[in-house]
Amino acid sequence: MSLLRSMTGGLRSLFRKEQVSQELDEELNGFLEMASEEKIKQGMSRKEALRAVRLERGSLEVTKEAVRSAGWESFVETLWQDLRFAVRVLRNNPGFTAAAVVAIALGVGINVGIFSVLNGAALRLLPIPRAEQLVSVSQIFHRRTIRNTHGETSMFSYSEYLDYRDHNHVFSGLAAYEPFLEGSLGGGKMQQVLGAATSCNYFDVLNEHPAEGRGFVDSDCAASGENAVVVVSDQLWRDTFGGDPTLVGKRITLNRMAFAVIGVAPPGFTGTEPIPSAFWVPITIQKVLDAGRDRLADDNMSWLVMLGRIRPGVKMEQVRADLGVIAGRIDQLQPGRTTSLAISTATFFGRPEERESLIPVALVILAAFGLVLLIACANVANLLLARASARHKEIALRLSIGASRWRLVRQLLTESLLLSMFGGALGSLLAFWSFASITQFVTSHLPHMFSTLALNVAPDFRVLAYALALTLVTGIMFGLIPALQSTRPDLNTALKEDGAKSGRGRKSGRFLRNTFVGAQIAVCMILLLAAGLLLRGLYYAQTVDPGFEMKDVAAAFLFPKAQGYDENRSTAFMGRLRERIAGLPGVIEIAQAECAPLSHDFSADYFTAPGRSEKIAIEYNHVSPGYFSVVGIPIVRGRGFQPGEEPNSQGIIVSESTAQRLWPGEDPLGKTLREDTGREYSVIGVTKDAQVSHLGDVKTPYLYFPAGPQDNVRTYVLVRIAGSFTPVAKGIREAVRSLDPDVPVDVVRLEDYLDVWRSPSRIVAALSGALGALAVLLASIGVYGMVSYSVSRRVHEIGIRIALGADRTEVMKLVLEQAMRPVLIGGVVGVAAGAVVSHVLSSMLFGLSAHDPIAFISVPLFLLIVAMVASYIPARRAMGVDPIVALRYE
Amino acid sequence: MADKPSDLVQGTLDMLILKTLALEAMHGYGIAVRLEQMSKGVFRLNAGSLFVAFQRLQRDGLIRSEWKATENSRRAKYYALTEQGRKRLNSETREWGRQVAAIARILEAS
Repeated sequence: MSLLRSMTGGLRSLFRKEQVSQELDEELNGFLEMASEEKIKQGMSRKEALRAVRLERGSLEVTKEAVRSAGWESFVETLWQDLRFAVRVLRNNPGFTAAAVVAIALGVGINVGIFSVLNGAALRLLPIPRAEQLVSVSQIFHRRTIRNTHGETSMFSYSEYLDYRDHNHVFSGLAAYEPFLEGSLGGGKMQQVLGAATSCNYFDVLNEHPAEGRGFVDSDCAASGENAVVVVSDQLWRDTFGGDPTLVGKRITLNRMAFAVIGVAPPGFTGTEPIPSAFWVPITIQKVLDAGRDRLADDNMSWLVMLGRIRPGVKMEQVRADLGVIAGRIDQLQPGRTTSLAISTATFFGRPEERESLIPVALVILAAFGLVLLIACANVANLLLARASARHKEIALRLSIGASRWRLVRQLLTESLLLSMFGGALGSLLAFWSFASITQFVTSHLPHMFSTLALNVAPDFRVLAYALALTLVTGIMFGLIPALQSTRPDLNTALKEDGAKSGRGRKSGRFLRNTFVGAQIAVCMILLLAAGLLLRGLYYAQTVDPGFEMKDVAAAFLFPKAQGYDENRSTAFMGRLRERIAGLPGVIEIAQAECAPLSHDFSADYFTAPGRSEKIAIEYNHVSPGYFSVVGIPIVRGRGFQPGEEPNSQGIIVSESTAQRLWPGEDPLGKTLREDTGREYSVIGVTKDAQVSHLGDVKTPYLYFPAGPQDNVRTYVLVRIAGSFTPVAKGIREAVRSLDPDVPVDVVRLEDYLDVWRSPSRIVAALSGALGALAVLLASIGVYGMVSYSVSRRVHEIGIRIALGADRTEVMKLVLEQAMRPVLIGGVVGVAAGAVVSHVLSSMLFGLSAHDPIAFISVPLFLLIVAMVASYIPARRAMGVDPIVALRYE
Repeated sequence: MADKPSDLVQGTLDMLILKTLALEAMHGYGIAVRLEQMSKGVFRLNAGSLFVAFQRLQRDGLIRSEWKATENSRRAKYYALTEQGRKRLNSETREWGRQVAAIARILEAS
């Protein structure tokens, strides 16, 4: 009540200022009149009475001022005054204003842009109705548990999902799905697409009801392996089926199976993963789709993502407690298992594994972009300092006639906040306008799988809040120190003459300016060093020798099982295909492998060496006898595989470092390894180490089994070719098509797989190169500004020196020396900090060495040269000073 | 005038103004004169603190104002106690009494 009245009272005096002031005038006048009438009655003259009243009661104006400044509205009024004054000051210095606004716009703009990308990637809620009610549930295993995984370990098995679905009290619905299900469309529409196998309440829980037809109902999921129905995405419907209005009810071929289309998802709905889904099938069809692997029945299999919609009014705490009970019960059923749940409002990249890899990357990126903003801030702060010494007299005058320091600081801060607001608004607008297309440009250069990443970088309240906060912090950061510095009460010297020319004020002002320049150089050095290291890493990645022969090898991926082939048919198919490929002109040798080198296809299992208790995770590959010669990995001991050798033959080949690790100092030939199933294998050969699995890594234990018939259902054909790749690739595709037009085949150069490994470092190098360039630009403007300012301030002094006979080159040297001192100090600090940063980076990116001598020598040298040039240009003016003009200058 | 007018104990001006208005509505000068009379000239108020207090009390809703003619047929702003102001006066008077008694006890103890 009273707050409201105080508000309205204040607002009244703000907006009806005239009337309120008149009323006060009249009331006060009346008061003083009455008081003086009293005195006149007592016998004073009117003049005496008025004087006495003024003495006793205070004058009219002072009283009015006291009443006016007592309310809160006076604060607003001075703010308004400050703002008007600030606008005037900025308008009178258009050059300064433009320079500062551009620097801030650049700094804030790139930061807001990158934040909007990160926001789109990991902070935004899922793009579905009432997404704030949707939570994702993950489980974290605490002890090292042996868990089958298809996807990420934090996912759930089907039986666990059913348990949570049926026994929770907090969700109106809990859905589960297998993400990233690969599907190949058949029926003349040959195309690889990604989809999801979902529980049948998926669309209901998400509240995304198909635009055409229907979503899944419970009967679609009634029995395992039945009901081949599919919902297709709006985009697939439009692009592949031409928007066929009668598609619902028709049958389409997915992975060689006929599926009845029952619905088309609403436009814009692309599933609940950052990579859009093209189709959804019931979870229960999994067994048929991926023949032979019944994930539904495996209670120890992590493969399902869970999303639940919270019942209205239920709190997150209740969700945690309720699901925790279920988790505890599941733990008790399996001895040795302890899990905890990670429950959070559903976003993209929300699973613990994804977060773990995303957060450090995001932090490094934000820090790097923040550093550029810091350089921009230092630039503007230096500009302000320079200007403050020009305004020294004005400020000293205001201080001497009684303005409080706080009042002046407030006014100067208002100015810098106004500046940062202009810059921030401009930068944010540019960012909103350009970052959508920049993101699209970057993602289109990502490896194939991520090129369709569905990132919404449009600004939301979070981005706006970030932009505003960043702008305010920026304004205070560059404004506060100059404001405090220039309002230091040092009236005497300042008033005696132009304060910038003598006294302590100038000295500490220069110290501050030098500090800012030094800091700029240091920060710039860090960014450039990081960029330099990344570029070196990129160069290394381009030229690394993976230890095997990548050139002149074609790799063809085939997945006959996805087309419904069983083992026998696959073996027959592959046999005929190998014959045809071998007959193609230009083909030297062919081989088959379960995983092509560096194709991001991995298999691993636990093995024990007899006599040792611990289990060792070893990556493995099933390869045909020709593999080692096709990819050029030499056998250094023992022999390779012979034709006809199969996994049952129990001979395996290990890599050199694996042998070294398992049997140090012993002859590995004839040694045995036991699989988890109890099967034993003995070593018949040892290969040279090669980075076949992870580029840059030979330490992971690796072994080879001979390929058997079961490996034909999903396989890579590796072909060593002489001459050109294109005709061979064409020949391979034609050979596959002539055998079965519905079997998809993907033929690439083996080197292309290397690209996938290199593209992250390429993007990072490009990004950091761009950032580094921006940083150098800003920092060199900073150095240039500082030197040219100090030269212009010292024209007088330099004139005297020259008049007294100083050599012009000596003067130049003096100016340059003084300019380079902060640069050198900043540079040393920057190199030291850069060494720390490079340690962090080298742990995150492949192929980076923390102390690359070339980067650590060339980058500081480069920056030094840039700083020299930036100070040389304005310093030349010092040489050209005409002593007569300079001495007349005052 | 026996003594120099002394300053008010901090925070008591509001209470005194409320007390002055308890009997009838008054204009600013009237309040000042009444306060001086009642304090036998100990308090002499300058217009600044008085009018700042009026504005504050009015915004807190303890008094309200109205333009009226004075007995000398001059226009003046009359202040009157609101219901809330009356309550505040009662509670502050009680509190003041308690404090004065307590302070007096302490001062007399030694």
